[in-house]
Amino acid sequence: MKTMTKKSLWVVSICTALLLASSAPAWAHHAFQAEFDQRKPIKLEGKVTDMEWINPHAWIHIDVKNPDGTVTNWMVECGSPNIMLRRGFTKRSLEVGTDISVQGYQAKNGSMRANGSSVTFADGKKLFVGGSNPDDPNNGKQQ
Amino acid sequence: MKHLVFTAILFAALPLVAQTPKPAAKAAKGYTAPKTPWGDPDLQGQWPATANIPLQRPANLGNRATLTPEELKQREAQAAQQAEGDSEEFASSKDSVSINPPGYWVERGKPHAQASLVVDPPNGRIPALTPAGQAYAKSLRNGLGPGSHFPEKVDTWEDFDFYSRCITRGLVSSMLPTLYNFGNEIVQAPGIVVIRNEMIHETRVIPLDGRPHVGKALQTYIGDSRGHWEGDTLVVETTNLNNKTGTGGGYFSDAAVLTERFRRVAKDELTYDLTVNDPKTWTAPFTIHMPYKEDPSYKIYEYACHEGNYMMIDALTGARALEKEGVQVKVDNDNFVRKVDAPKK
Amino acid sequence: MTAAAVFAMLAMIPSSGWAQATKATKTFDGHPDLGGIWQYMGTANWDLQDHPAEPGPMWQTGAIGAVPAGQSVVEGGDIPYLPAAAAKKKQNFDNRRTQDPEAKCYLPGIPRANYMPYPFQIVQSPRGILFVYEYATANRMVNMGKPQEAGSDTWMGTNNGHWEGDTLIVDVTGLNGLAWFDRAGDFASSKLHVVERFTRPDPYHLNYEATVEDPSVFSRPWKISLPLYKRMEKNAQLLEFKCVEFAEELLYGQFKKQPAK
Repeated sequence: MKTMTKKSLWVVSICTALLLASSAPAWAHHAFQAEFDQRKPIKLEGKVTDMEWINPHAWIHIDVKNPDGTVTNWMVECGSPNIMLRRGFTKRSLEVGTDISVQGYQAKNGSMRANGSSVTFADGKKLFVGGSNPDDPNNGKQQ
Repeated sequence: MKHLVFTAILFAALPLVAQTPKPAAKAAKGYTAPKTPWGDPDLQGQWPATANIPLQRPANLGNRATLTPEELKQREAQAAQQAEGDSEEFASSKDSVSINPPGYWVERGKPHAQASLVVDPPNGRIPALTPAGQAYAKSLRNGLGPGSHFPEKVDTWEDFDFYSRCITRGLVSSMLPTLYNFGNEIVQAPGIVVIRNEMIHETRVIPLDGRPHVGKALQTYIGDSRGHWEGDTLVVETTNLNNKTGTGGGYFSDAAVLTERFRRVAKDELTYDLTVNDPKTWTAPFTIHMPYKEDPSYKIYEYACHEGNYMMIDALTGARALEKEGVQVKVDNDNFVRKVDAPKK
Repeated sequence: MTAAAVFAMLAMIPSSGWAQATKATKTFDGHPDLGGIWQYMGTANWDLQDHPAEPGPMWQTGAIGAVPAGQSVVEGGDIPYLPAAAAKKKQNFDNRRTQDPEAKCYLPGIPRANYMPYPFQIVQSPRGILFVYEYATANRMVNMGKPQEAGSDTWMGTNNGHWEGDTLIVDVTGLNGLAWFDRAGDFASSKLHVVERFTRPDPYHLNYEATVEDPSVFSRPWKISLPLYKRMEKNAQLLEFKCVEFAEELLYGQFKKQPAK
């Protein structure tokens, strides 16, 4: 079992990685490994200020309160919006001001951008899971 | 008069038919394909490429074109497990954090008994490249080979493949399954069939009036297509492909002729066969067979890829930033996946 | 349809130049046939409003890169910008060489796609009316059934169409506000709403009108009006203009690895 040799708080699970890798088609996403930095794991919590429903990947903008009280706006990269549109979500599904939690890795270029490997509401509920019924008031919205 | 015209077309198409093996496309018993209001066979509909079939057959399956019931069951069990994972509402310690988007944010294909998309040659694998075909691929990027979806370096945008540059997936890939957005819509009008591929908003307008192909100098990413009917089958011949796309590691030459056959064999089933004939690039022709299932609820959304390609800028500026730092970060997907930190409910 | 039936049908149509020139004037569902390859011939894509000939943004291309003179296609002449928006338009114009979405090979949006110097094709099918543009393989399917709402904003918009007599009306919403109207920097926001009207007065022309409204940019709605011409070449067809490769140096050139000095 390999572990990261950096001063990191995060535990690496190679078994989990292999499980994920074998059950999905090869990660045919865009070249995320050219975009994000394995040395910079990140955890962000903040309020949604915008969501760009664009391809190839949607981006959620969040205001993150820093320890010193200042606020930084981050951009979080998600998947293709077409998938969620087909599941009944729309640009109105994620309201500005919603609290979300993000875990991923920061961009290599040092910008305030990260990939959203895990994107959840404050209670840990994943954004946009399920959602085949667009009229379901629970879809994608924080209660 | 109509019969004479039909027969003439059939005779004209015969030499091509004789050369390319025609996999059986049997209609369901008693099934008559519907017609458009003007009398052409009606192939219209949403035909997303949901059948999750790999392009080439794993070597251990040999000449077996279909999975055994047990093998299919295994794939279905895997898919069911994946679907369960995808629908997990709450983040948990089972999840990992990687550099990819959320794992459930995809459109999974469905397992299918067909062992590979390539059905001819019988081993389900694309024939070897010719020496010229190999040499060409190697010569790209001044000898570094073709750009990649997972580039080893990011000096310029040319280190990426055409998909990552949001240019095209090429004709072949555009028709076949991929991780998501594999929508295909067929639209017809008198004398025209249009094939729309969702990713990356390709729109092939195919005339059926027998006009010749455009001149050889007019090479394009998606080629120049001409169609005609053979009974209920739409036969499309595409030439004039430039050498920037291909399939399976080979790139089309100016000799490439792609022949596609579309036929509705049941109310919601379209069979598709694509034969690639490019003797300059491959040592033999090969045929891909893809079964499509109609999904009237599928909606093609705009895939404006280039317009939103933050990745390209971030990857380029990221590489420049690392160069400044003097850091060589070799990325290995296996080495830095971590467990998600899930809040206690 | 046999030749005899066609002649019989023609005989029933009151004699008019057009009926004799073409085999059919209606599509399979009885509506005017707008099908064909169309292209605009004026200078609207350079500048929607009156403009004299002027240099382009790059002297290096000489007279080839210059802008031809043109008369306004805007009814009433001028686009009625709100004061703040007028300033933004000027800023767009000053930066057009690098900021015009067309220079970047971005999708052109509506209405601009219809008057660019590239042909487009209208395909009337039972599934809707498909517009296929040669420029950047832009395309849009006009939904002719129950109007659908835009799930998200896009470059080519959410297009809902219906017929009023012989006029095709397309209601375009869900535009993302990122496209320009021309190379002169005319623009709108994501509140943009365009209503188009297409008619075919004769076999060789379409009349195109686009009513534009965006209360955050313009003081009132305004209207574009221009003719579209049929491409008459014997085997006219759309060719391919996938222009990303032509725009990459412009977009990314400053970020590529510089050769070691």
